[in-house]
Amino acid sequence: MALIEVADLDVRYGEIDALRGVTFSIDEGGVVALLGSNGAGKSTTLRAISGLVAPRSGSIVFDGKSIAGLSPQAIVRLGIAHVPEGRRVFPGLTVRENIMLGASNGKASSAAIRREADRMLELFPGIRPFADKLGWTLSGGQQQMVAVARGLMAKPRLLLLDEPSLGLAPVVVQAVFRIIEEINQRGTTVLLVEQNARMALKVANWGYVLETGRLALGGAPDALWSDERIRDAYLGGSQPKASI
Amino acid sequence: MSAARAAARAASGLFGSVVGHGLYAILAITAVGCAATVKTDGYFANILMQAATYAIAVFGLSVVLGLCGQINLAQAAFFALGAYAVGLGTADYHIPFWICLAAGMAIAFASGGLLGLSTLRLGGHYLAMVTISFQQILTVVLLNAVWLTHGPDGVSSIKRPDLFAQGQAYLALAVAVLAITGYVVWRLANTRLGRAMRAVRDNEIAASAAGIDVYRTKVAAFAICAALGGLGGGLFAGGFAYVSPDQFAFSDSIVFLTMALLGGVASPVGSVIGTGLLILIPEWLRFLKSVPGLYLAIYGLAVIFIVVFMSDGIWGFIAGMFRRPATAPARPARSLVLKPADSGAPIALEVRRLAKYFGGLKAVDGVDLTVRRGGVHALIGPNGSGKTTMLNVVSGLYRPTAGRILVDGVDATALSAHRRTIAGLGRTFQNIRLFRSMTALENVVIGAERDGNTQVEDGHAATVERARAALEFVGLGDRYGDLVTSFSYGHQRLIEIARALAGNPTVLLLDEPAAGLNSSEKKFLHDLLDKIAAQGLTILIIDHDMTLVAGVARHLTVLNFGRRIADGDTVDVLRQPDVVAAYLGAQ
Amino acid sequence: MDLVLQLLFTGLGIGAIYALVALGFVLIFRATNVVNFAQGEFSMVAAYLMVVFAVDLGWPYWLSFLLAIGGMALLGAIFNLGVYYPLRNRTFLPVIISTIGASIFLANTVLALYGPQPQVLPGWFDTPGVQFGPVYLDSQYLLIIAVTIALVAFQYWFFEHTLLGKKLQATSQDKEMAALLGIPVARMIMITFVYSAVLGGIAGILVAPILFVSIQMGSTIALKAFAATIIGGFGDVAGAIIGGLALGVIETFGAAYISVPYKDAFAFLVLILFLAFRPRGLFGERVAEKA
Repeated sequence: MALIEVADLDVRYGEIDALRGVTFSIDEGGVVALLGSNGAGKSTTLRAISGLVAPRSGSIVFDGKSIAGLSPQAIVRLGIAHVPEGRRVFPGLTVRENIMLGASNGKASSAAIRREADRMLELFPGIRPFADKLGWTLSGGQQQMVAVARGLMAKPRLLLLDEPSLGLAPVVVQAVFRIIEEINQRGTTVLLVEQNARMALKVANWGYVLETGRLALGGAPDALWSDERIRDAYLGGSQPKASI
Repeated sequence: MSAARAAARAASGLFGSVVGHGLYAILAITAVGCAATVKTDGYFANILMQAATYAIAVFGLSVVLGLCGQINLAQAAFFALGAYAVGLGTADYHIPFWICLAAGMAIAFASGGLLGLSTLRLGGHYLAMVTISFQQILTVVLLNAVWLTHGPDGVSSIKRPDLFAQGQAYLALAVAVLAITGYVVWRLANTRLGRAMRAVRDNEIAASAAGIDVYRTKVAAFAICAALGGLGGGLFAGGFAYVSPDQFAFSDSIVFLTMALLGGVASPVGSVIGTGLLILIPEWLRFLKSVPGLYLAIYGLAVIFIVVFMSDGIWGFIAGMFRRPATAPARPARSLVLKPADSGAPIALEVRRLAKYFGGLKAVDGVDLTVRRGGVHALIGPNGSGKTTMLNVVSGLYRPTAGRILVDGVDATALSAHRRTIAGLGRTFQNIRLFRSMTALENVVIGAERDGNTQVEDGHAATVERARAALEFVGLGDRYGDLVTSFSYGHQRLIEIARALAGNPTVLLLDEPAAGLNSSEKKFLHDLLDKIAAQGLTILIIDHDMTLVAGVARHLTVLNFGRRIADGDTVDVLRQPDVVAAYLGAQ
Repeated sequence: MDLVLQLLFTGLGIGAIYALVALGFVLIFRATNVVNFAQGEFSMVAAYLMVVFAVDLGWPYWLSFLLAIGGMALLGAIFNLGVYYPLRNRTFLPVIISTIGASIFLANTVLALYGPQPQVLPGWFDTPGVQFGPVYLDSQYLLIIAVTIALVAFQYWFFEHTLLGKKLQATSQDKEMAALLGIPVARMIMITFVYSAVLGGIAGILVAPILFVSIQMGSTIALKAFAATIIGGFGDVAGAIIGGLALGVIETFGAAYISVPYKDAFAFLVLILFLAFRPRGLFGERVAEKA
């Protein structure tokens, strides 16, 4: 059962076509990786889904309801949480406060939200010691954990993760991807945008590759990884046939 | 094309020159003549006097705000400086009028320049605050330094020059000065300084990269604005024979600003319209002044409405209704000559142990880069690897935390961005930075008229020739007169490249030139880069399109996490496992 | 020494007024990146409302106060919708000019409706003051300091200990991210304008019995408050308060020891000096941004 269906999506920034005729769907319960080199349109796809940018044409249907053109606040209330690129932890608020604000899509009381946040901190032991530290003092990897925890507070059915590994050291990236697997096991569907195709395809059960605004490839992770066209998408047509 | 249309096109091109000048001269002479001869009652004559002198001050705002985009909320203070110079000078010290007027202008000019110095560190709100503070301090001084300024009593018995002592003659003088200053301000927009101001207003960073000294331009704008304010004030004093501090308060600066905005801040015609309307309308609606505050309340509301609904002002609105005449075809441009400086050394650009830290983030962490002369060298790496930061440090947008940059053997590390352009660096930007209010030709002319351009002889005609040659080189020669906003995204990028080439750079830095281009545009870009390289220029390119990069670049440097991980021939580097891993993901 | 203490007390009193108005500035700036040149007019309008209710209509002081504050809340909302909202996506220049236009409109509308004569607003207390050792504590000044302390405490509690306060802070730190979490950004901005108008209004009502209630009182206070925010570090809440208090003290001492007529110029001189040598003020950016 498709949780979200994107059909013929066209997004423009001024004169530039960022996405052209993009069509794909995601079943409930999966982790889908959206790959492609920089500028391919991956972030734009997420921003269109979460309502930060209105598509020029095409449709986005979430759980049977059309959401294209709705405000970000309306969309997060429907159950889609977007953890944007660059983490964007509120620098002047503490970790706990950041996480608590993740529940802003609902009407729970402040006390209930605090309890939820405490529970969330249990799931992310790496940041629990920093619960009362201000956001700007954390390292990149810690901020990424906070951003993901904050996203989960919205109790989303679909979690959009934009480049969680960006700027993080490899060992931290491993930790982040372990969390993604755990989240998925607990029942959240994940749409993961990543430049790091290898790591993304390790956690995903399906993948798509964008190339200059169009969907170029789609398939199971192993098939995608061994398809030489994925290398072309990232590194141009100059790759030798041998795989790594 | 029919002969009639060709003639119309030629005529519209001519408008800016002979016909335009002629019309202006006729208007000016008529106005002065009327002022001198047509008898009006004293009250109306006073209105005209006020309008004329205020309009001169508003011209000043059309320079600093309209042309240069800098806010000045102290124009009444400069007006006051001129007024008091003439007032105190003629009444207390019996110095001849003309000397007082000149002194007033000079003092205003100097104070304006001083205020302009504050733009080095400040812009926006802070600049507004500095100008308001200056205005307030001056008001306090005018009121309290009684020994000098007569305090609240003001200065009376201000003298006029003997030749123009009679009322109508003085009015004619004021109108004549108005006509002359109007002409100067009108033509200023098309001088080198005027173009520099407009470039600063449209896009400061691009102006700097094109070789313009942004800071000096702003100071000049402030100084000119203040001088015009002082001139208006001096004439005002002579006209009314009495001045007092309450005529030059902060609210009067706002009145000047509103006059500028209402008419259209970008042109002297707008200034005249705005001043005229805002002085004459209240006279016609004199009942508004009977209730104190009603007039100004409507004023305040008008300011909001103008800003929200009519930000180009009345003249801007009118002028916008006329469609631009299409560019007249001119004789073919010469071909572009690119003669990059060549000190003989094999290395055109060298970067040694460059580091740029933003607080704790090490965006660039000790990178060496050697770019050999001639040919294309590419700098690549995944998102967040530090390439764009590095380009920005090399071109002077950021100060490096450590390391040295050498352009053609000369240490450029301490040079500001515009000085690096003069030293031989040219660049384009990932988010296209063109001067959006100008034509393609004007944009490229700005690039061509940078200091030290060896390929351009003296004179404006030579820079225009070179600019047209550069536009021809990128394939846009026949649209030189069109506004850059009318070009497609891909073509705008080409105009940016032409602007950089017009400056005859030694090294051309291209920041993601292929971003946003479709495949045929990319092909064109590829050929263009080959053409540029063939003329001996050195190109350093950042881009994500590997097909393009592999096609044009002979030599590749790869960054990851702010460090250099590979450097060498393109084909070899792209095969290296750690490069592939950097892009596709590490083990 | 007695004089010094007296001057200190007076300086803190007047500084508290600057601090309140400065707070209003800073809150609006943090939420919207707009410098509100009409902030002073909020103080002036509130003072006039008090005159209308308490003096002209003779209603009880506390009732008039509530009505005046209610009026300010309404004015803040209208200001948000009419002046800020249409220009929220434009560059700063149109917005500055627009708020300047609003300030002129407000000042002159009051002038047109009420006339140019300065008005007198009686203080809250009947007793003019109390002698405390060597220092005479004027009762209105005491009230000002007390109310300011209460307001600052309230604001601290509100921003640091309520969820709504956190949402307001989040909105001013990263509007887009706040929207993604479901925070109603437009409503947060409306609350900010209403609150700032109320702050300015309270300041105006508190200071009115000391000065005359006049059309110009708003702009004088606002420019000083602006100077205070620069001194404290623009965008910094604590800085606004400390800057306001500091300016009040400097100005009072300057008037006493140097010259009274030029005391207004002090604020601007200090402002220019800070802008020239330390534009980020005493406290600069409260939070360092990691790039």
